[in-house]
Amino acid sequence: MAQTGESEPPAMRLSALRKAFGSTVAVDRVSLDVPAGSFFGLVGPNGAGKTTLLSMAVGLLRPDGGSAHIFESDVWHDPVRAKSLVGVLPDGLSFPERLTGRELLTYLGRLRGLDPATVTERAAELLGVLELTEAERTLVIDYSAGMRKKIGLAMALLHAPRLLVLDEPFEAVDPVSAATIRTILRRFVESGGAVVLSSHVMALVEQLCDHVAVLSDGRLVAAGRVAEVRGGTSLEEAFVHIVGGRAGGAEGLSWLASSSG
Amino acid sequence: MKLRVLRNSLRGARLAAVLGGGVLGLLFALLTLLLGTVTFDRPEASVEILATGYAAWLVGWVLAPIATGGGDDTLRPEHFSLLPIGRARLATGLLVAGFAGVPAVVTLVAFGSLPLYGARFGAGPALLGLGFAVALLGLVVLVYRVVMTALAGLLGSRRGKELGILLVGVLGLAGVGVNYALGTVIPTLVEGRAGEFAAVMTALPTGWGPVAVRAAGTGEWGLAAGLSLAMVAMLAALVLGWGALLTRQVTATGYRGSARRRAGERRAGRSLLPATPVGAVVGKELRTWWRDARRRVALLTTPVLGLVVAVVPTLGEGGDASSVLAYLGVFVVALACVQTGNLYGFDGSALWHTLLVPGAERPDVRGRQLAWALLVGGPSLLFALVLPGVTGHPEAYPRVLALVPAVAGAGSGIVLLQSVFAAYPLPDPRHHANPFSSGGRPGCARILLILALTLLLVLAAAPAVAALVAGGLLGSPVLTWLAVPIGLATGSALAWWWGGLAVRRLARQGPELLATVGADR
Repeated sequence: MAQTGESEPPAMRLSALRKAFGSTVAVDRVSLDVPAGSFFGLVGPNGAGKTTLLSMAVGLLRPDGGSAHIFESDVWHDPVRAKSLVGVLPDGLSFPERLTGRELLTYLGRLRGLDPATVTERAAELLGVLELTEAERTLVIDYSAGMRKKIGLAMALLHAPRLLVLDEPFEAVDPVSAATIRTILRRFVESGGAVVLSSHVMALVEQLCDHVAVLSDGRLVAAGRVAEVRGGTSLEEAFVHIVGGRAGGAEGLSWLASSSG
Repeated sequence: MKLRVLRNSLRGARLAAVLGGGVLGLLFALLTLLLGTVTFDRPEASVEILATGYAAWLVGWVLAPIATGGGDDTLRPEHFSLLPIGRARLATGLLVAGFAGVPAVVTLVAFGSLPLYGARFGAGPALLGLGFAVALLGLVVLVYRVVMTALAGLLGSRRGKELGILLVGVLGLAGVGVNYALGTVIPTLVEGRAGEFAAVMTALPTGWGPVAVRAAGTGEWGLAAGLSLAMVAMLAALVLGWGALLTRQVTATGYRGSARRRAGERRAGRSLLPATPVGAVVGKELRTWWRDARRRVALLTTPVLGLVVAVVPTLGEGGDASSVLAYLGVFVVALACVQTGNLYGFDGSALWHTLLVPGAERPDVRGRQLAWALLVGGPSLLFALVLPGVTGHPEAYPRVLALVPAVAGAGSGIVLLQSVFAAYPLPDPRHHANPFSSGGRPGCARILLILALTLLLVLAAAPAVAALVAGGLLGSPVLTWLAVPIGLATGSALAWWWGGLAVRRLARQGPELLATVGADR
């Protein structure tokens, strides 16, 4: 597993997490340490169990077995402490859709019991940094995909967590928004926070993350520092090798070319 | 595809509910079937009764989904928006899918009365009757589809939505009227006293079948052929019209709850709520009730439904409508319990953020209760204060004023209990969704739920009612008026107790609830 050499407790520790939907085992006894202060990428093909794993890690999906700890607090037995330390951006879920961005952040801040002045200040700052102030009067339901990711990130950051868990934060996000999100995440890690993000874009993970774990068919097949996992090649090639696949697409499909002539 | 979807969704309780609904429908169908075999003294009576029966089936097809908030969404046209299928083919395909289902089979059984009726005249008329039975089924399914699609199209715009609510109210009124009419009309028809009514019924497309069969039976093949052609033309027109509507629904931009709203206009309202977690939830809920079309439909239809349920039955029998009207507030609260009992379903997968805020379950439930009590209890209390005086029944005051707080308080608990224990997923409003479609809650399960919550409401009202009855028997106005604080106390206590149950359930089973309501079918 990922080693840091530091004695600090890991930001997130997953032990033998397991989840089956009917006869399909989505996540099969995955154990994983996310070192404090790391930028951790979780990669895997579609359907590898990334979302299932992250949902169990933060308390949104009850695991069939195993445990998840956030800064040594058990997510499923001591949820109050664990949940106050983590900020989560889930993929594809709804928000309270009929609020504007500012209303949503204000509501969430107060629900978290933050002081009203702090909430107002942080909401304004987050909306500004994430360039959502323009859409001041737009309800979240009318947001574009990129704006939804950004307001979700603002929701995750609002209570100043020490760990961010982001499910596909760059999916369907335009390049400009993606650059903004990347910058914010880098700053978060530089200031001592830890980030776990899932993605199936290898280049992005290679560029952003210092640690990586590879999930395939619900099993953890590799984990460690990015340099260790990829060896001498690119992460993309290493990934295809690790997952045991063979990059297809070279044969067949001859009819694709014939129509272009 | 619909068959596959149906097969995949037919499991356990749902299967039982569909079967239950099917059996109930089958009973009605067999009743209609019987109508085709009974001989009356007056030969026209059969035609007229069959025509009336078929018209009732048509009305039933259109009204049932609206009245129960149901509707067949197994296949939504949006599912096909990206496939290169022409509109006519899409319409035909979805239409064929519309026939695959329990209701269509049951209806066909009912329409089987037509060939049976024809069989009395011989093989030819029986065959014609069979043809017309199938055509009638087509007519019914098509009209249902067109109405639902048109409603969905209409509801795409904000103003249209308000109009739609009104329309449903009027339709509801008409539905209850028809219900009442059927009880009195059939005897009249048999005796041949309702000439004009019968003329209208046989002139409607649903009446063409019986007329044609009878014409064939008596040798007027010209009339029979003409009616057959007219029927085919009618069906073709409906298919075309529906296809056009579909194109609009498929290609229109995403359904918006209520489009962009100005942020400034609510600043004043915000300061009224305390900056606490519960206050935050109340604020969010009030905004969502107002801005989310689906929630608004659920809420705004309750006074209309209340009027229909409370007042209309008294109209025909020479009953006193005003004495019932005085109690409208109580009806509104009870109906609101039924209409809005899926709060977490309304919000769908948004529940994740509540689960991730430590200790947010309590403020979330309490805030939702408060917002509901404000929105439902407020107007109901207003009805309770105004209506008895206006309708000239001041003696109703202690009763209404005792009952409304009791049921409103209990109701705010019941709604949350339903929302956590009997939640079901609704179509994700981020994609197209008709605010009237209720997702996969079959009618029978709904009826059971309604029975259960009526029982709870009766329990909640019992202490106040006991005081009222005792006061009436002993002739003691003090005891009668004592019912008001008793009602207030029961309401508050039950709201606290049942809300607490909901909090505990949410805290323990939150992830499971998220999985339930987050599953967009």
